[in-house]
Amino acid sequence: MSRGLSVDPSDAVPLWKQIEENVRRLVASGALKPASVMPSVRDLARDLSINPATVTKGYQRLVDAGILVVRRGEGTFVAQKPPSLPRGEREKELEGGAMRYASLAVTLGAANEEAVEQVRGALKDLGKKKKDEDS
Amino acid sequence: MSANPSPAKTAAGASTAVVSVGSLVVRYGRDAKPTLEEISFSVPKGSVYALLGRNGAGKSSLVRCLLGQQKPTAGRCFLFGEDVWKRRARLMAKVGVVPEDPDAPPSMTARQLSAFCARIYPTWDAPAVEARLARFGVPAGTPYGNLSKGQRALVALALALASSPELLVLDDPTLGLDVVARRAFFEELVGELADRGTTVLLTSHDLTGVESMATHVGMLKGGRLILDEDLEALKSRFRRLRYANEATENPTRYGQELSDFDAVKVKVRGWGVEAVVSNYGDETFAKFAALEGVVDAEASALSLEEIFVAIAGEASPGRNA
Repeated sequence: MSRGLSVDPSDAVPLWKQIEENVRRLVASGALKPASVMPSVRDLARDLSINPATVTKGYQRLVDAGILVVRRGEGTFVAQKPPSLPRGEREKELEGGAMRYASLAVTLGAANEEAVEQVRGALKDLGKKKKDEDS
Repeated sequence: MSANPSPAKTAAGASTAVVSVGSLVVRYGRDAKPTLEEISFSVPKGSVYALLGRNGAGKSSLVRCLLGQQKPTAGRCFLFGEDVWKRRARLMAKVGVVPEDPDAPPSMTARQLSAFCARIYPTWDAPAVEARLARFGVPAGTPYGNLSKGQRALVALALALASSPELLVLDDPTLGLDVVARRAFFEELVGELADRGTTVLLTSHDLTGVESMATHVGMLKGGRLILDEDLEALKSRFRRLRYANEATENPTRYGQELSDFDAVKVKVRGWGVEAVVSNYGDETFAKFAALEGVVDAEASALSLEEIFVAIAGEASPGRNA
């Protein structure tokens, strides 16, 4: 159930955020298909040996972002379609994500070209994975 | 070193605090150095509060005071807003405890222990004890004295949860447990948190387990609470910095370049300088990395264990002592 969803408690990134980012990545790469069922908070927390409140927080962010949907009594699912954000908000999200990545690259002492190259590579990887999953 | 125990946090939210400790002092003997000095903190409802400290830091005395087993020299401990020393019997009905070294009459079986407790606790759920023991694979009919250490800890957990406690106190519960028992212990704890949102106060040497489960961390050192903080906030402000130092002629020295940081620990290595800082921020770091003489600066995250070692771990007093 929690295939591909792993976390590292010793990382500086909070656990709920790791869950959020991992699910985003799995959805983006097609490893988690639209409308597929997510593990329950309890099951995922047990699998990962982490506090269930942490999973709840990560899921909640994904629900707020429109990546996951909760169907009462049935559970949590991957949304049918990628969320459509209002124009301004979409840009703000992209900008925020870019700033977070840029800060990381700077703290690791990466040169600008290297940082940009990594983004290109990551986008390519996601595209390739999605193709593999779809075929 | 400025490990501010964020005093604002202890005062706030006192109304929803399950545990609240105010200016607690414990001293054994009139002229002795206090074992606990002016300890104040609170455990918010629904949180998992990990109390850390090396052996002799005062954890056991604090836990005994919290459970009403010991009268503080000064200050008070409240559970659910009531003084635990005055209302011990009533308050303890709402608390489940797994002691550091669970003790029970060796001839009694887990089933007999459960039946015995059922007479004391009004909300005792004996079938739940049997179900948990079955899940753990611990025989309910074997005398306690014949069980392994791991099995005893799991029996203690099954008993502690049987009264559906509002507060669970775990005193280094996984110490000396094998991997399987430890895993079973944490799985059950996760289930309990998911189902009931129980408030947990735990002491532990197992910092990896704490890091996955805790929402708050308190750190005792030499009888003082040197840290009392949200785990996420704690981890976000600690970083290890590494850089080659070309500011001073002698590369084995470091100068003023770290002055914007609260450096908890600084070590000079062959290749440069390594420092642990407690007030990391992306902007402060960018400024620091751009300083003349600071070369190849890198910031990396610290695990809770590394943070613990950096502030409490060194046996010999460092430069900040």
